[in-house]
Amino acid sequence: MLVLIKAIYFEILKIFNRLRTYIGFATIMILVPIIMYLAHRFGFEVQDQALRSLGDSVIFVGTLVNGLLVSYYLMNVLWVHFPFFIVLVSGDIMAGEGAAGTFRILMTRPISRFQIVTAKFLATLFYTFTIVFFLGIISIGSGMLIVGGGDLFVFDKGILILSQNEALFRFLIAYLLAVIVQMVVASLTFLFSTITSNGIGPIIGTYAVLVVSFILSVIQIDALDVIRPYLFTSYFDVFFAPFASPIPWGEIAHKTGYLCCYIIGFYSLSLIIFSRKDITT
Amino acid sequence: MMLQTFNLSKRFGSRQAVKDLNLSVEKGQVFGFLGPNGAGKSTTIRMLLNLIRPSSGSFELLSQNVKSSGQKIYSRIGALVEKPDFYLYLSAEKNLKILGSLSGGVDKERINAVLEIVRLQDRARENVRNYSHGMKQRLGIAQALLNQPELVILDEPTSGLDPEGIHEMRELIVSLAREQDMTVVLSSHLLHEIEQVCTHMAIIDNGSLIVQGSVEELLRKTDFYVTEISVDNPERAFNHLKTEKWVKDITLENGLLKVHVSVEKRPVLAEFLIHNHFKVFSIVPRTSLEDYYLSLLKTRHG
Repeated sequence: MLVLIKAIYFEILKIFNRLRTYIGFATIMILVPIIMYLAHRFGFEVQDQALRSLGDSVIFVGTLVNGLLVSYYLMNVLWVHFPFFIVLVSGDIMAGEGAAGTFRILMTRPISRFQIVTAKFLATLFYTFTIVFFLGIISIGSGMLIVGGGDLFVFDKGILILSQNEALFRFLIAYLLAVIVQMVVASLTFLFSTITSNGIGPIIGTYAVLVVSFILSVIQIDALDVIRPYLFTSYFDVFFAPFASPIPWGEIAHKTGYLCCYIIGFYSLSLIIFSRKDITT
Repeated sequence: MMLQTFNLSKRFGSRQAVKDLNLSVEKGQVFGFLGPNGAGKSTTIRMLLNLIRPSSGSFELLSQNVKSSGQKIYSRIGALVEKPDFYLYLSAEKNLKILGSLSGGVDKERINAVLEIVRLQDRARENVRNYSHGMKQRLGIAQALLNQPELVILDEPTSGLDPEGIHEMRELIVSLAREQDMTVVLSSHLLHEIEQVCTHMAIIDNGSLIVQGSVEELLRKTDFYVTEISVDNPERAFNHLKTEKWVKDITLENGLLKVHVSVEKRPVLAEFLIHNHFKVFSIVPRTSLEDYYLSLLKTRHG
């Protein structure tokens, strides 16, 4: 157990000693405040769309736009764009060791293959947690600082108005669920990374699976109803669920359960593959 | 027994990389594992270090079956497999700290001590990315020695080193056995390296063991001692000696006679030269592992 804990610590240390780890953090740090500033300075199209959809039935005085609303819409990057930062790191975590030949020095230590895979997997999940929450903190923090705070107006099957404190609580749940969603992406990339000794392959492989699954999940063809429940992307919208009233805990538990099954499944497959793998690099 | 294999075999698809290999290495030996490129040396070492799974057979390290004792046994073993690769974005010190920690923990003094052995203490805090190949090779040795192993397995440790580095590396290997009581298994395709450094050796070709034993005994038994002779009239001596039945082979190169005779016949050779009125300037007995090695391979390949 002690070896495993040490191994996890060193895997995290290795991740955070690499330049590529900071690409995601730097992009978020630069891009999100710029988006907030632009939303504040030049307006936000979503407001006009929302008001148009309400027609003449409601009259608003002032502005709907605040930092929380922009943050809410910014969560859409979690579908396809944000996973790039996840695959960039998790794609290299196993394959990188194979390509660099460092498995040779690592595995000649009294550490089992189970411990190596588990330590790397947990370190990948830790990175995933960190960067998702970093997005959340920067998004909400810079949003409230630059655009301003206030009530959150959610336009989805009607209008839901959440007080600032309630909205922040919902964001917390949403980002926790987003972590689980991104962990599925990380686990899939980790699996591909275990198979190959090339850091690019897992990135391309994961994106191919992600985009195809995403298309199959959203495309409205009845014939696809059979496979839709088996696509992990069908449950990716779980992080928007906390912005409903009341919070659909049953639906969240159901979708989270499925996503966790995928995470465990991808990890188990990685473990089986790596346990049987010959290290020839 | 420090290392023993029992019909160890490895097959990659249709290719038999290692076939029914039975090796045994005892405490205190510097064991040379010799063979041409592609003979199966690295595959064998990778199997011993749990990098590659054997197709069949088994092995024991430090008299323990690795399958039943698990990975723990590797805390008593140090290894360097082929070229040394490290985490380039970390310093040498941090690399050793990670590896030492996974080996049950080593203190800072030990890290400094091994860095001193390989003369890297001044550049310990520099990222390995900036290291030359020779420095990485030395760091590879440092990590192998980190947990004061009883058995050190080195796969081609002098590969890519400059002549000075090769000399230092060989001295270090010998000192590990003599001064630090370590058993060393050394894989190499360099014959003279094995001859200079090892006490025992095994020769492998096409994945099969050809021969193993002490270097001296193998040479003596197979009679691969060459006597180099410098005399006043080498051509005449050459013609005289080549007719003698106890001379197995003789060559004349640059005025130097290389006579292939058994150790027992060496006094006869000296007596013969003096009896035939040659002025003998020198008689130098030399072992020729290269001849032995080539003859073995020649026999195998017909």
